[in-house]
Amino acid sequence: MDDYFRNILDTATSVFEGMSITFSHLFRKPVTIQYPDKLERPMAEMLPDRFRGFLKVDMEICTACLACMNDCPIDCIKIVTKKDEKSASKERVLTQFDIDEAKCMYCGLCTEPCPTGAIHFTKEFERATESLDNLVFKFVPEGQVIVPYKAPKKESGAAEAEETADA
Amino acid sequence: MAELRTEEMLLNMGPQHPSTHGVIRFVVKTDGEVMSAAVPDIGYLHRSIEKIAEKATYNGFMPWTDRVDYLAAMNCNVAYAMAVEKLASIEITRRGEYLRVIAMEMNRIISHLLAVGSLGMDVGAYTPFIHALREREKVNDLIEELCGQRLTYNYARIGGVIYDMTPNWDKKVLDFLDQFEPLLNEFDRLLTDNKILRKRLGGVAVVTREDAINYNFVGPNLRGSGVKWDIRKDMPYSVYPELDFEVPVGTGEAGSFGVVGDCFDRYMVRIREMSESVKILRQCFERIPPGDHLVKVPKKIRPPAGDCYIRTESTRGDLGVYLVSDGSDKPYRLKFRTGSFSAMAIIEKISRGMMVADLIAFIASLDIVAPEIDR
Amino acid sequence: MQKLADLLIQKFAPLQQLPAEYVYLVVQVVFALLMLMIFVAPFAGILSWVERRIAARMMDRVGPNRVGPQGFFQWIADGIKSLLKEDIIPRAADPILFRLAPYLVFAGMFAAFVTIPFSSSLIVADMNVGIFYLIAVTSIVVVGILMAGWSSNNKYSLLGGMRSAAQIVSYEIPAGLAILVVVFLSGSLSIQDIIKAQGAYPWQWFLFDNPFMPVAFTTLFISSLAEGNRTPFDIPEAESELVSGYSTEYSGMRFVFFYFEEWANIYLIAAVGTALFLGGWQLPPAVKAWAVSTGGALGVILPHFLEFVTFFLKAAVIVFVVIWIRWTLPRIRVDQLMTLSWKYLTPFGFAASLGVAVWMVLFPNGVPLVHYVMCAGALATLLYFFYRVAYQVWYSRQPIHLNPFV
Repeated sequence: MDDYFRNILDTATSVFEGMSITFSHLFRKPVTIQYPDKLERPMAEMLPDRFRGFLKVDMEICTACLACMNDCPIDCIKIVTKKDEKSASKERVLTQFDIDEAKCMYCGLCTEPCPTGAIHFTKEFERATESLDNLVFKFVPEGQVIVPYKAPKKESGAAEAEETADA
Repeated sequence: MAELRTEEMLLNMGPQHPSTHGVIRFVVKTDGEVMSAAVPDIGYLHRSIEKIAEKATYNGFMPWTDRVDYLAAMNCNVAYAMAVEKLASIEITRRGEYLRVIAMEMNRIISHLLAVGSLGMDVGAYTPFIHALREREKVNDLIEELCGQRLTYNYARIGGVIYDMTPNWDKKVLDFLDQFEPLLNEFDRLLTDNKILRKRLGGVAVVTREDAINYNFVGPNLRGSGVKWDIRKDMPYSVYPELDFEVPVGTGEAGSFGVVGDCFDRYMVRIREMSESVKILRQCFERIPPGDHLVKVPKKIRPPAGDCYIRTESTRGDLGVYLVSDGSDKPYRLKFRTGSFSAMAIIEKISRGMMVADLIAFIASLDIVAPEIDR
Repeated sequence: MQKLADLLIQKFAPLQQLPAEYVYLVVQVVFALLMLMIFVAPFAGILSWVERRIAARMMDRVGPNRVGPQGFFQWIADGIKSLLKEDIIPRAADPILFRLAPYLVFAGMFAAFVTIPFSSSLIVADMNVGIFYLIAVTSIVVVGILMAGWSSNNKYSLLGGMRSAAQIVSYEIPAGLAILVVVFLSGSLSIQDIIKAQGAYPWQWFLFDNPFMPVAFTTLFISSLAEGNRTPFDIPEAESELVSGYSTEYSGMRFVFFYFEEWANIYLIAAVGTALFLGGWQLPPAVKAWAVSTGGALGVILPHFLEFVTFFLKAAVIVFVVIWIRWTLPRIRVDQLMTLSWKYLTPFGFAASLGVAVWMVLFPNGVPLVHYVMCAGALATLLYFFYRVAYQVWYSRQPIHLNPFV
């Protein structure tokens, strides 16, 4: 009998308290960020620096060391080099540097071993497209070759400092 | 008069269902409301992560450990890293340990928020779920600033962690903790004190202490049945011996109809563990030493041949990693032992005589996450 | 309605050749249809928008705000979308019952609207058994829901339909008992008479007439929530257990019919509560005298318009409370629902009716002091409630945004 009335009293008080909490939420500022047209700041400002968006390769400083291709856990980076017969020194040149961004899991294991920081994350993520082939980023334009970057020997200390800063 | 033969209905709470947490199937035999059996059927989310480990290098396997349990990704990262470090005898720095613990405890808070929020939603209270997610978003923003991702962090490495804190990050986290505690209290008053919730969860799906130990429960499920066992206290690892926190245990507190080991106890253990994690985080930020966050390890780690077993306290219980190495740079065998898999065994036994609505509350209170069951 | 029909017969000579009953019939049907199209349908639609915005603000979000100003045309967009959807009927579903179920549910709800007063003479059918007819005809909804659950040929829908039948039938009794209490006080079953027995000021409402009336009001409110399948009693359509309960197999406009009925039913709950307990459309005599004294056509329309506004505002408060409860409380289990009805609400209904009967024998003319004391008690509870709300806002230390439109 005691339980009966205690149940009623408990229900009434807990419902009263719960309803006062939800009523108080009516007066608070909504936390919704109304993307994409009613943003208060540009999207790039709202993302932190370490945000892992799409990968980008600065081909001017890529040394074609293939460290990123070897470290990628799902093999989404494809780099093809060949000996350039036409040049005088017969050095290696890059003919293909593809990153399949649809396969990429944005883990960052490729950006860590890069000696110059050529491969890095951008803050871009808005690239929805109709076909998966559009998401294979080709960093060596069709038909061209790119000569890999060679770090000058006396700046090797600076290159190492850059490497630990990236890690 | 002849006995009226009523057939039992075979209901399929199929792989697609709004309230099984992930892709699990339950074959339920019921005669309308009361069940006679509910048999779980797992395997829909099997992705052969353990087999992939045999093809991936030790360093390269880290992103996959995130996906073993994506709600407690940091815990899986650290468990795997600890296993490799033990086998290869790598000592990591104190600062690395503290950063790992900070990320793990933040992960514990957000995983428990999601667990109690979705328990509320399965029971019918839609608003507390959204409030819990709002807090989760704030922590996600903080972790995004630390390591770049919101769900699958890939933050731990063999040898420490990959990034150090950004400037003022510790102040932001402490500010968040200051405003999180009143909101946790408010969440409590909205959902936990609600008599309807207590009646829904109190006395439902009672798992006795003996059953919990016999059926291999771990984590908050085990503590909800009254067994005070937490690997962070009983078999401590990392910097947990230096930290001071309580281990909440279920006490049958739903009211006059509450029994130790019911759904409400498991729910309360999770709410209390969030407050304990806040305490741990504050202590970590006071005690964290300066220094390096990552030791130099060889590019291709080749641990000596042998095996080791690591136990950590993930948000869902005992996350065990058994690693066998044969001296090469890829593991020979890697096995994960997860808390959700252990929780599936008892569902069939407890579900006899329960109602379908109670089955939903039971599954939600066990905090089952399907990827952890199937890996 | 009678006066309006007589007026029409006087003005238009051809109508005088028909028997008067036929004119009355046509006038009533026309007004019923007008009410459906002008009031009920837009109200159910706008209520869906209001509910989504209120639910969103309670969850710290914004709600629909893209379709039209502040998202106001969202319900029109939803309606057009569901009309354009493919009409899927499962092959194994019972062909006649599957198609008939939404119409029965809708008819049961709408048939009750003909007795809801909008002002002192704007009522489609002022029957002398008004409230009794209302309770009886809303039970057709049960038949419709059971039909929907059975004919879908889906175990989940069947479970939902059976649960709903048990729920609605069990909650008819406390609702009936609470309404009986009001009938004692007013002496008549007709809704207009019940409203005329009350006054405009709070101490003249039936809610504060004697200490048993709040008990009866609470019983009626909870039972009406259960009859309307609203949380915490939305077990038949519990999304997390049964996908969508009895309406799982429906798509397009048929699906919308079920939810249309639920929203329009909220207004029915509010209107019954207002008419029976909160004084209905009663205006203070001074205001009514002023409205009539404006003279001419305005003097005829204005009092009715003010009465409509009063009734609508009181009903809107109850509608808001119904929405608010939905987004606060969890759902109760089916056996707890039965316990609540049979062990708590029915005894309270009986106790209330016995108490009111004894009170009326002891105090045939009412006790004004009790009215004032009860009004003061209600005001004190309301003030305490707003104090708690202010405390929650202060305690949480979150930024405040008072503008309802973001």
